[in-house]
Amino acid sequence: MRKEVDARGQNCPKPVIMTKKALEEINEGTISCIVDNEVAKENVSKLAKSLNFEYEVDKTKEGHFYVHITKGEGSQETEVCIPDTLKDMTIVFGSNRMGEGGEELGDILMKGFIYTLTESTPYPSTLVFLNSGVKLTTQGSKSIEDLKTLEENGVEILSCGTCLDYYGIADKLQIGEVTNMYTIVEKMKNATNTIKL
Amino acid sequence: MKEEQYCVITFNSTHHAIKGEKVLNEKGLDIRTIPTPREITASCGLSIRFATEDLEKVRKIIGDIALDIKGIYEVKKMLSDKIVTEV
Repeated sequence: MRKEVDARGQNCPKPVIMTKKALEEINEGTISCIVDNEVAKENVSKLAKSLNFEYEVDKTKEGHFYVHITKGEGSQETEVCIPDTLKDMTIVFGSNRMGEGGEELGDILMKGFIYTLTESTPYPSTLVFLNSGVKLTTQGSKSIEDLKTLEENGVEILSCGTCLDYYGIADKLQIGEVTNMYTIVEKMKNATNTIKL
Repeated sequence: MKEEQYCVITFNSTHHAIKGEKVLNEKGLDIRTIPTPREITASCGLSIRFATEDLEKVRKIIGDIALDIKGIYEVKKMLSDKIVTEV
């Protein structure tokens, strides 16, 4: 089986996505991707390499490139294109609102941010909630449902015990575990990428 | 990710979206304010998500209070792709 993917005129990362999709659709065979520039050729070749598929590159008279990728029966598909910084990410919620400015807007943005986290894979590995951020993991939070979705998908959810206690809401925790500063420091140090909101 | 289907209302302004959320909440509808899916538009970033079954109810309420909306869309989510149709 041989299929052609015409990715001429497409900007990065479109040629890679198109080729990857075509490869996913076949069990075995060859996908020939045509691209019109050097960078796209390199990127599509890299895709083949990362998937452990054999590939060949032909240059046409017009200066376009054919990248022929052969997916064999025994080809092992490995996870591609997921940088470590995404696989192992800790997000620290230092406040119950996102950004500075209007409080109503900050609430809406935070609610929207957590919802969008559930829509975007790969998921972060850990979410840490501290200071007023613990209001997001306790009773009255509009994000409990989304945090549950994340937890069900293996995301670790940690709330700062000191903070829960300070706000008098230690008994109102609805999701995840209680943690202390030692664990918070460890999580921030060990993650390849920590984002503080 | 599981397959899902739902409707969203988009607005011309954030303030209208906030008002819409309040009104529909008061009417006891199960709705959520979410960032507008990229597949629809990048204009006003907020929209209201609700179950497709509630479409007629939502339309009626919007009509009754003359809420200023931009459009209503049905979103079908397959794996990580979203297919969007205006309804």
